[in-house]
Amino acid sequence: MSAAIPTIAEAARRIAAKDLSPVELTRACLERVHALDERLHAFVHLTEERALAEARAAEAAIMAGGSKGPLHGIPIGLKDIVDTKGIPTTCQSKLLQDNIPDADATCAEKLAAAGTVLIGKLTTHEFADGGPSFDLPRPPARNPWNADHFTAGSSSGTGAAIAAGMILCGIGTDTGGSIRGPAALCGIAGLKPTYGLVSRAGVAPAAFSLDHIGPMAWNAEDCALMLQALAGHDPRDPASADRPIPNYAAALGGGIEGARIGVIHHFHETDHKVGEGTQRGIDAAIATLRGLGAEIREVQLSPLQDWHACGSLISIVERAAAYEEWARTRLHDFGERMRSRLMLGAFVSGVDYLQAVRRRRELRAELKAAMAELDVVLTAVFAAEAPKIDAVPKWDVFQQPGFMMPFNVAGYPAMSVCAGFGAGGLPVAIQLVGKPFQETTVLRIADAFERATPFRDRRPN
Amino acid sequence: MPTPIDDAAFEYLLARAGLTLTEAEKAELKTVCDGIAGFAERVRKPRGRMAEPALTYGFAEEDLP
Repeated sequence: MSAAIPTIAEAARRIAAKDLSPVELTRACLERVHALDERLHAFVHLTEERALAEARAAEAAIMAGGSKGPLHGIPIGLKDIVDTKGIPTTCQSKLLQDNIPDADATCAEKLAAAGTVLIGKLTTHEFADGGPSFDLPRPPARNPWNADHFTAGSSSGTGAAIAAGMILCGIGTDTGGSIRGPAALCGIAGLKPTYGLVSRAGVAPAAFSLDHIGPMAWNAEDCALMLQALAGHDPRDPASADRPIPNYAAALGGGIEGARIGVIHHFHETDHKVGEGTQRGIDAAIATLRGLGAEIREVQLSPLQDWHACGSLISIVERAAAYEEWARTRLHDFGERMRSRLMLGAFVSGVDYLQAVRRRRELRAELKAAMAELDVVLTAVFAAEAPKIDAVPKWDVFQQPGFMMPFNVAGYPAMSVCAGFGAGGLPVAIQLVGKPFQETTVLRIADAFERATPFRDRRPN
Repeated sequence: MPTPIDDAAFEYLLARAGLTLTEAEKAELKTVCDGIAGFAERVRKPRGRMAEPALTYGFAEEDLP
C-alpha cells in the first residue's frame, strides 16, 4: 500500500510530468477513505463530488499549462473547526450540527487558491479541546497504526487521515499541542508555525493568544510546501504578522553542518521523565543530528511545570471567555470533556490570569536568551507511544506537564518529526523548536533528519 | 500547597460564572479544582509592580532575534 501513497512533492513532480492524474490520485484517496474510515473515523463529512470536480478542473488546467504550483490537484482535508463556505462545519459539537458557514476561513481559501482538492472535513475534539469523547455526534478518530489506540488531538482526524493515506496533507490547529501531538502519535510531520504567521480568521477559537494554524503532512518537505500556501498577512486576523515570506522548500536539502541544536534534557529526563522507547528515540535522533554535522549543546529553562501552569491558566480562561454564552445557557449540550474544561474557568481569578500573562513575558524572554547562540532546541513531544483510546484521562491537564505547551506560551515555531517506533510498534517523535519566524531552519533540520533515517519508508498496514 | 476551596466559595464561583452543574459534576470538579490554585501559585513570582504582561497579540521588537 505504501508505494501507492505519494508525498506531495512526489505527486507534484509526477503531475507536472503528466505521469499522474489529479483525478486518479483523488480516486485513490477516496478509495482508501471508503476502505478504512469506518474503522478510523477520520472524517466527519466527505465532499466526494466536489473533490472529483476539483480534481477534474485541476487536471484540465494543468494539461492546458495552467499549473498553480505543487499543491495543484493535491487531495487535502480540513479540520472541522475550519469554516468552509457551503460545507457543514460542526466543530464536532451538538451546538453546531446545522452550521453551514457562508465564507471560507482564510486558510481554506488559500489552500483552495493553490489548487488543492478538498476530500472532506476531519474529526476533531469538540471545539478543539477535551480529548477523545464518545458522547459527541461522531466518534473519535483512531490511530491507523493500531485502531485500539489514541491519535492524540485535537487535530485527530488530520493525523489519522494522513498516516492512512486518505489525504496527502491537512490543516491542524494547535493551542497546546494539537498539531504536534497527533503528528507524533500518528507518525507523520506537523508544524506549529510562529504565532501570527498563518491566519486564524474563520477558525473556531480555543484560546485566542495560544491558537496556531499549521500544516500536517507525511514529511517536513510537504509541510514546507503547504506552509508556502498558508503563510502571509491577513487583515481579518488581528494577530496576523506582516512580514516577508521566504521560500520554505528552497531552504531544504542543503545539509545541516554546523547547525547549533540545544537539547532541553531536563524537560524530558527530569521534569516529566519519558519512557524508555521515547528516550531511545530522542537519543538516537541526537546521535543522527550530530552525525549530520550539527553541534549539540545543553539548554536549561524554567521547569516544564512552570510553562504548563502558565499556558494552562491562559488556555482555561480564554476558552471560558470564548464559550461563556453557551456555557451559561447550554452547558449540557457540550460533550462531557469540553464541558469539564469550561467549568474550570470559574476558578481562575482575573489576577491569576494576568499573573500568568506576566509570567508568559518572562518565560518568552528566557527562551529567547537561551536560544541566542542556537538555531533550534529539541525535546520530546510525548512521554510514550499512543495510549489505548479508552485510557486517556479526562483531567490530564492536572497530571504530568506537557512538552508542547511551552512553545504555545512562547509563540515559537515547533515541529514534531517521527523518530522511530516504540516497543508497541507505534511511532515516537522528537520536537524541534526554532526562533520566531525561522520556520526555514526548523524545516531544514527536520528534513535532513528524515532523509537520514528510515522512518518515512514505513506506513501503517 | 494551596488551601482547598470550601463549599461556600465553590458554590459562589460557579454561580458567578453562571454555570449550572449537577451534584455529580460538582463532586468531581471539587476533586480537581485545587489544581487551578496550584497553577496560580506557580505563576505568582516576586516580580514587582512594574513587570508588564506579554503582548496578547504578536511579537514586540524586543521579542525577536
